[in-house]
Amino acid sequence: MIRARHQLYIWLCLAAVLIAVIAAAPILPLDDVRAMDIPHRFAGPSAAHWMGLDNYGRDVFARLVWGGRASLAVAFGSAVLAGIAGTILGLLGGYFRGVVEVVTVRVSEVILFLPPLLLALLVITILGAGVSTLILAITILYIPNYTRVVYAATLQTASQDFVVAQEAMGTHPLTTLWRTILPNVMPPLLVQFSLTVAGAILLESGLSFLGLGVVPPTPSWGLMIRSARSALDVAPMLLVWPSVALAGTVLLLNVICDRLQDVLSPRTAAVGGAAWLRRGARGAARRRASMMPAGKVPAGKLVPEELTGDPARDLGGDLLAVEELSVAITATGRPLTQGISLRVAPGETLALVGESGSGKTLTGLASTGLLPNGLGVAEGRALFQTPGGVTDLAALDEDGMRPLRGAQISMVFQDAAAALNPVHRVGDQLAEVIAAHRPMSRPRIEAEVVELLRKVGIPDPERRARSYPFELSGGQRQRAMIAMAVANAPRLLIADEPTTALDPTIQAQILQLLEFLKQENPDMGVIFVTHNLALVHEIADTVCVMYAGEVVEQGPVAEVFAAPRHPYTAALLASVPEAGQGRLQAIPGTVPQPGRMPEGCRFAPRCDFAAEACRAPQALIEIEGGAGPDGRPRRTRCIRWREAT
Amino acid sequence: MARYIGQRVLVALVLIWLVSTLVFMVLHLVPGDPAELLLASGNTAPDPQAVAQLRTEMGLDRPLMVQYASYLAGIVHGDFGVSLRDGTPVAQQLMLRLPRTLELVVAATLIASVLGIPLGTLAAIRGGGLADRLVSLLASLALSTPVFVVGTGLILLFAQKLGWISAGGYVPFAQDPLRHLALLLMPAGTIALSLWAIVVRMTRASVLEVLERDFVRTARAKGLGRRRILRRHVVRNAMVPVITVIGLQMGTLLGSTVLIEYVFNWPGLSGYLVSAVEARDYPEVVGIVLTISIVFVLINLIVDIAYAVLDPRVKLAA
Repeated sequence: MIRARHQLYIWLCLAAVLIAVIAAAPILPLDDVRAMDIPHRFAGPSAAHWMGLDNYGRDVFARLVWGGRASLAVAFGSAVLAGIAGTILGLLGGYFRGVVEVVTVRVSEVILFLPPLLLALLVITILGAGVSTLILAITILYIPNYTRVVYAATLQTASQDFVVAQEAMGTHPLTTLWRTILPNVMPPLLVQFSLTVAGAILLESGLSFLGLGVVPPTPSWGLMIRSARSALDVAPMLLVWPSVALAGTVLLLNVICDRLQDVLSPRTAAVGGAAWLRRGARGAARRRASMMPAGKVPAGKLVPEELTGDPARDLGGDLLAVEELSVAITATGRPLTQGISLRVAPGETLALVGESGSGKTLTGLASTGLLPNGLGVAEGRALFQTPGGVTDLAALDEDGMRPLRGAQISMVFQDAAAALNPVHRVGDQLAEVIAAHRPMSRPRIEAEVVELLRKVGIPDPERRARSYPFELSGGQRQRAMIAMAVANAPRLLIADEPTTALDPTIQAQILQLLEFLKQENPDMGVIFVTHNLALVHEIADTVCVMYAGEVVEQGPVAEVFAAPRHPYTAALLASVPEAGQGRLQAIPGTVPQPGRMPEGCRFAPRCDFAAEACRAPQALIEIEGGAGPDGRPRRTRCIRWREAT
Repeated sequence: MARYIGQRVLVALVLIWLVSTLVFMVLHLVPGDPAELLLASGNTAPDPQAVAQLRTEMGLDRPLMVQYASYLAGIVHGDFGVSLRDGTPVAQQLMLRLPRTLELVVAATLIASVLGIPLGTLAAIRGGGLADRLVSLLASLALSTPVFVVGTGLILLFAQKLGWISAGGYVPFAQDPLRHLALLLMPAGTIALSLWAIVVRMTRASVLEVLERDFVRTARAKGLGRRRILRRHVVRNAMVPVITVIGLQMGTLLGSTVLIEYVFNWPGLSGYLVSAVEARDYPEVVGIVLTISIVFVLINLIVDIAYAVLDPRVKLAA
């Protein structure tokens, strides 16, 4: 931002120097631009004539400076005139609306439907060539651009409170326009002004080049290029000088315009493209952020069962084992989630629960290597059982990940409307995930697409396969999204808030559908990411509660719900509306921001049970005898769980 | 789709009417009248009798509305009057020269798109890298250099210095296809340059934006190959704003043909316009300006339809 401003000043200074030199032409010790020296025509550069002489033996340098005068006079003159006229029209149209708007804005827009140069030529036909005609023609051409810009800005400003307040106080509309609205539309006006000057210089030089602009012998850059054409073979430099002057000036103006836009409306667009697209793309592995020394790493870093370092043995019979996984901002190393450990067995449904910002979605994305730009896995492993053996998902690069995605691990995203490509038919989007992993003939894929759509409960699947996403209802879109995810019978399905954007009745249908799909494919493990505890009870076997980037409690759903062992889980459960229940309990305070995490227990500032010991970093501790019937251990990150719950 | 196209055609017809009216107004509402200006030379006032006679000849003595009606009727019938210079019907010249100008425009658009879209995509993928900066720099230069400077520079380089190709001219395709295309290359390439710069910039910005969209992540989650994601999901979606910008630039492009046909001696409509303006031949100027404007409107109609083909949602919004 500050850099952009400084750059703008540098370029503005350059422009000022250029304009000063050109404006000072009459007092500079320049040769007479009309003085001919025919015997020495086409003479090369010398001390007296820095750029030599032209086809009539006139000093090229002097003509260049004076020519710039003509170009800039026409350009600035018409830019100012068009600016005044266009601004008045735009202000009036945008402020008064109605008939005034039609007369001012719409009528001037008709000009835009004529190619610019043609309108100028039309005016020149009527009025004859010359500087004043040029200014008039170019002014007319640029009025609608200003009108549009000012009109849009006025519309925006006029509806704001401070303007409405002035109206209410009975300020005269013209005073309001002049004092309040005009200063507010200045920024876009400035950008438009620099654009117009650049455009006007191009037009002026073009028309002069055609012999329809500035009338000789007055020098102008366009005319100089015109006359250089006849002597290209003798004196090519006669073409080069005015060309460089012309292109350089326009370039300078364009750069100023770009910088002006940077300063006035900073673009936040991430530069860097998408790392995954580059050949030999580094996946999570090499993008690993070196994590910021995050104070004291929680004591008891290891999960109680000792890890051997041998992936196959560490995974045991499970499908997925996320171990001590941390996601961090690559550039700064600031951790967003820390030390996440969780396991999913074949056929098991794990609910990942937490408020927004708790890191539950990031954990899901990290397991599939789909983290947004700028984030990376900083630590930990994500062991996954593929048919070919155990692999660490966190260490795979894009090419290693690709065969797994959509085939072994699938994702269902929250907002199906955004997650489906709007310009392709639903059936085609479904077909490509099948074709990517199980190449078959086109008719067989199409038959399978229809079958899948039928299976996920979309009525009239033959027709729906040919529909575009926007032609489907919200529930149908999510069904189509789910169909895509299960098309290749994945081992692991990660559903990221799949029902959040839907109506409650549709939510229930989608949950039923997921239940049905699990019965169809009983070995499929599911990670269900949600903030809705009520859903967890219905669909999940185990639950993992996250808070501020950490797991705070995990264990079998029935047990966690019956007897929460962390004050946060307890508070969360108390805030779930249930029929026949008394008052809902809100959790006081807010989730701490990354970078402002408490050193000790992250929930302590909001916790009624916080004690001195909670100021120290807390480890996940296993609750003895708490293991559920399926052997899933219960863990909590609260050292006072006995007192607190 | 048929309904959408019908709507767009209707809008195009209204635009053509508006543009024709604008041209009529420019001719008749400015101070002085064509007959007077036509006969005026320098500062001497024209002979009033001659002016009156010419007025009758040109039909300028009739009431304005009558003139307007006959003017519109002429356009509908493709009758643009006769040239003041040689008395031949203007429409005849228009029919002969219009295809040559269109050829330039189409060739330039093709060159700009074929070179601009892949390079813009590359610049976006290598965001901030060397290729990105190089392409952006080239685009800035291309946007700042006037088209007639580029054209003249190319003549200096390729015709004068290297002698690879003649400085300009035209040979009908039927007569010598190869030479026709060789002569087309320089003028079309020159016009294409600034459009190329705009296409590159727009493609780059658009691709960067699409890369951030959810459906690209979905495509990755489906395990699709890099090329397929780029082609089907990124570039395809990024094309919608690029097409819009190409349509918006057609006015400038048609304007460039005026300069380029002049520079390269290309016997199209636009170069003809320059000589008509010099001679102040009203019927010719009006005929050419109207024809090019109508072409402009029609090109935008095509752009609108291309838009609907690329983005199926557009039809619904209409």
